[in-house]
Amino acid sequence: MFDTERAKRDVGMNDIKVAARNVQVYYGDNHAIKDVDVDIEDKTVTAFIGPSGCGKSTFLRCLNRMNDTIDVARIEGEIRLDGEDIYDAKVDPVQLRAKVGMVFQKPNPFPKSIYDNVAYGPRIHGLAKTKADLDVIVEKSLRRGAIWDEVKDRLSEPGTGLSGGQQQRLCIARAVATEPEVLLMDEPCSALDPIATSQVEDLIDELRTNYSVVIVTHSMQQAARVSQKTAFFHLGNLVEFGETGQIFTNPQDPRTESYISGRIG
Amino acid sequence: MPLHWLVLIVLTLGAVGYIVGRRRAMKSAGGDARFLHSLPAYYGTNVLLVTVVPAILLLIVWLLVQPLVINNQVTGTIPDESIPEGGSLGLVMSDVRRVAEGLDTAIDAGAMSREEAASIRTEVTDVRQRLAEVGVALGSNVRPEVLRAAQQYRSLDATGDLAMTVALLVLALAGFGYGVLRTTKDFRARNVVEKGILALLIGAASIAILTTIGIVLSLIFNTVEFFGLYPAWDFFLGTTWAPSFSGRGGASELGVLPLLWGTLYISIIALLVAVPIGLFAAVYLSEYASPAVRSVAKPLIEILAGIPTIVYGLFALLTVGPLLVDVFGAGGIFGLGWMKGGTAVMTAGLVMGIMLIPFVSSLSDDIINAVPQAMRDGSLGLGATQSETVRQVILPAALPGIVGAVLLAASRAIGETMIVVLGAGAAARLSLNPFEAMTTVTAKIVSQLTGDADFASPEALVAFALGMTLFVITLGLNVLALYIVRKYREQYE
Repeated sequence: MFDTERAKRDVGMNDIKVAARNVQVYYGDNHAIKDVDVDIEDKTVTAFIGPSGCGKSTFLRCLNRMNDTIDVARIEGEIRLDGEDIYDAKVDPVQLRAKVGMVFQKPNPFPKSIYDNVAYGPRIHGLAKTKADLDVIVEKSLRRGAIWDEVKDRLSEPGTGLSGGQQQRLCIARAVATEPEVLLMDEPCSALDPIATSQVEDLIDELRTNYSVVIVTHSMQQAARVSQKTAFFHLGNLVEFGETGQIFTNPQDPRTESYISGRIG
Repeated sequence: MPLHWLVLIVLTLGAVGYIVGRRRAMKSAGGDARFLHSLPAYYGTNVLLVTVVPAILLLIVWLLVQPLVINNQVTGTIPDESIPEGGSLGLVMSDVRRVAEGLDTAIDAGAMSREEAASIRTEVTDVRQRLAEVGVALGSNVRPEVLRAAQQYRSLDATGDLAMTVALLVLALAGFGYGVLRTTKDFRARNVVEKGILALLIGAASIAILTTIGIVLSLIFNTVEFFGLYPAWDFFLGTTWAPSFSGRGGASELGVLPLLWGTLYISIIALLVAVPIGLFAAVYLSEYASPAVRSVAKPLIEILAGIPTIVYGLFALLTVGPLLVDVFGAGGIFGLGWMKGGTAVMTAGLVMGIMLIPFVSSLSDDIINAVPQAMRDGSLGLGATQSETVRQVILPAALPGIVGAVLLAASRAIGETMIVVLGAGAAARLSLNPFEAMTTVTAKIVSQLTGDADFASPEALVAFALGMTLFVITLGLNVLALYIVRKYREQYE
């Protein structure tokens, strides 16, 4: 039923990149995430699946402290990136977000040129000493975003003029330009057509060689296609977490089984 | 019949029509509203509209046209030789109208009967004396031809009023009958009322547009008249503003350049104050402030916009001016002696800038809020700080809108009058020193029209040319602002 080919290709153990323990998230009085423990491995694609409103995007946004920008959100528990607690007072959320990049549901290129969109992060973090360095970073990022060939002749044109799929790949290129260690993707393909989706999925698979990728998706086929590990969220709880092949073929929890067979959600 | 009675009768007829129309519709459907094409109220409204609207429109047109027609007829009866030397027909006609009104007042006061008013003769009675007894003061003795014209004026007016009353009532009754007869259960009253409402809305929009056209035309005609009396070349390129107050003609120099310079100088200072402060306030309110702070601070800033400009003028005259003299004047803190009096370009500019702060901040705030949250998330997600996000993503994205806001603020600064009158002084001069008194186009329009100069003299008519200049400048700025805002608005779509 599900194509888990890529999952089978690699089930070897990698280092733990992000370790979450006992995480609770409250939106005002609403307890949105309950007791979530999860280990996200390096050089692995981890998929978060679950019905709408189950808290998967909320949990994703905890990993780079994007929930800090929401006034009513409150987070408890512990999230460690390479062993360091990211909610510690010593940690600068701005630095953290440079290490944990994010790609959003809707492509959101800045109203700047394609070049400036990609150069935005490196400029802010001072990653390039000279203009030539910056050119190299931009080209490398656009190549990793699998969009270089389409835009190399029009780098000075606005990023908003690209098609939806191109915009999303530009946003991915923009995110990898800051050399993150973890890349968070919040439903990156939900606004794209099947062809663009397939391009982005291929890209996610390639990104795995360098980064730890976490992807939130509504499409179980997509989770099966691109991920090695899958976490199933339901009503704010992490119900089941394991290898993708196992989750989709032999789920342990009855709720997971109901969801992937289409009975709930 | 007095006007308000007439209107009341028409409205009552309309109300009766509403009830009758509604009843008739219900009756034609056998008392069951489900068989009607429209809801019963629509049938009533339809009769109400056809009764009232044409009658009221006729009333308005009649009231506008009747005085013109009567004026024309009466004017024809006045012999040319009765127009005094140096006077005009218009002056005689205003005498006629004044006497006619006086006779009306006398009749109302009971000092004169209707027949007496119609047959009274200056040769027999002292009309001026009789009218003065009822409180109507006339400038000179009433001449026989003026009195006769006034009597004719009154009789024509009475005839016209009678004709109007009859026509109005006939029209209202005809509308009433037409509306009621058309009411059957298959009549599409709903659609007809819909069209009536459409016409009403179009009418409201047309009044606004026609008024604008009227104002512009009056500016243009008077400006053309002014340029007939005073060379346009000297007006646009003259560097001296020195109207003579000695009466008509003579040695007035009416160069607009000193006034334009004053206007621009004061506006520039005002914008230098208002744009940074307003913009920073907007950035704070939309990006940094918590909802609690925002809900208090935003209305407080907008209170500034509610202060009447004359109060700002007082503030400039009594507080800011003396304060600036203490700092920059002779014997001031720095002992510079740059500033001689409290009224100066700087005084007016600073206060006007304060006045414009809420204008810039609330427009910019709306524009910054319109930048999608996705832009902020994208930037923050790349590890940018909040101020980097504002500077490099939000402000560039909002820039077209902000430029539009600044241009609109500039039009307001250019058109501002009271602050200038009180804060900047009245001396028209071309100078670079911001601590000197100067004046603006608007302030000079006020002083040219509030004097007792003859209205046909270039000294008074120049106000229209100044107004026209100002209008063209602000119109240009507004058009530019709208163009910029429109051109870049759909950038995020």
